[in-house]
Amino acid sequence: MKILEFEKLESTQKKAKEIAKEAEPWTVIVAKEQTGGYGRKGNFWYSPKGGLYFSVILPKTKIEDLQILTILAAFCVAKILKEDFKLEPFIKLPNDVYVNGKKICGILTENIIFGREVKNSIIGIGLNTNIEKFPKDLENIATSIKIELKKEVDNKKLLKKILEELKEKLEIIG
Amino acid sequence: MKFKIKIGEKEYPIEILEGEEEVKIKVGEKEFSFKKEEKVFLAKTKFEKREFKEKKILAPIAGTISEIFVKEGDFVKEGQKLFLLSAMKMENEILSDFEGRVKKIFVKKGENVKKDQILLIGE
Repeated sequence: MKILEFEKLESTQKKAKEIAKEAEPWTVIVAKEQTGGYGRKGNFWYSPKGGLYFSVILPKTKIEDLQILTILAAFCVAKILKEDFKLEPFIKLPNDVYVNGKKICGILTENIIFGREVKNSIIGIGLNTNIEKFPKDLENIATSIKIELKKEVDNKKLLKKILEELKEKLEIIG
Repeated sequence: MKFKIKIGEKEYPIEILEGEEEVKIKVGEKEFSFKKEEKVFLAKTKFEKREFKEKKILAPIAGTISEIFVKEGDFVKEGQKLFLLSAMKMENEILSDFEGRVKKIFVKKGENVKKDQILLIGE
């Protein structure tokens, strides 16, 4: 697994799509901040410094299995939030994780399909870890681990843990 | 000498101009010249069989067409983005696997499609 770290990107998902053709499977793009982070239907994802934003270039997988993977990724994150951080996560299907009724994590899987063949698949995860405060329009609908627990999270360690879980899950379904 | 040949649904105007030393064959806008006595291998001309074959783009999965990036009559390159298909859990960028003209688009933005439904025919 190769992790490419960036200080700032427009979007890790966008970067991953750019390099997907040449990159090895399980190449991970991680950015400390995103200027144009997005979720499903192009919805904006608030991505200031402090949060954990990454995209994983997945190995070739059947499109049907990728649908399950998105949900499994939400389970992975929820499981870690519960077991390691003692939070009470709630998965809002298909791909968001909530804590105390507020969104803490969003997951987006994007596939590039050439004719009938899945060329590349990228799963992107935005997890609000060390975000201290959200702007007014988001403060009632978004939260972070830091807001919930009043303590800092080690983003690097957390990233590794999520990746390991994800890989294990994909091996099971793959 | 002018005539037309029809391949599939499409007609191609052909013009043959004979000069002193060479023969010119015009196919639409394209021109091929051959020296007299030269052997002509038709298979080597620009028109490969696959160019005339219809190309279908199907929905790889059930979902909603959230974007259409091309319109009928457009010329598309291989790898060009045609549709964005949003499924419950994924966004799928559907790229063209052919180079040619978009003959017909069968779906509208916002339309729900089934797996394997024809989205577009190219030629």
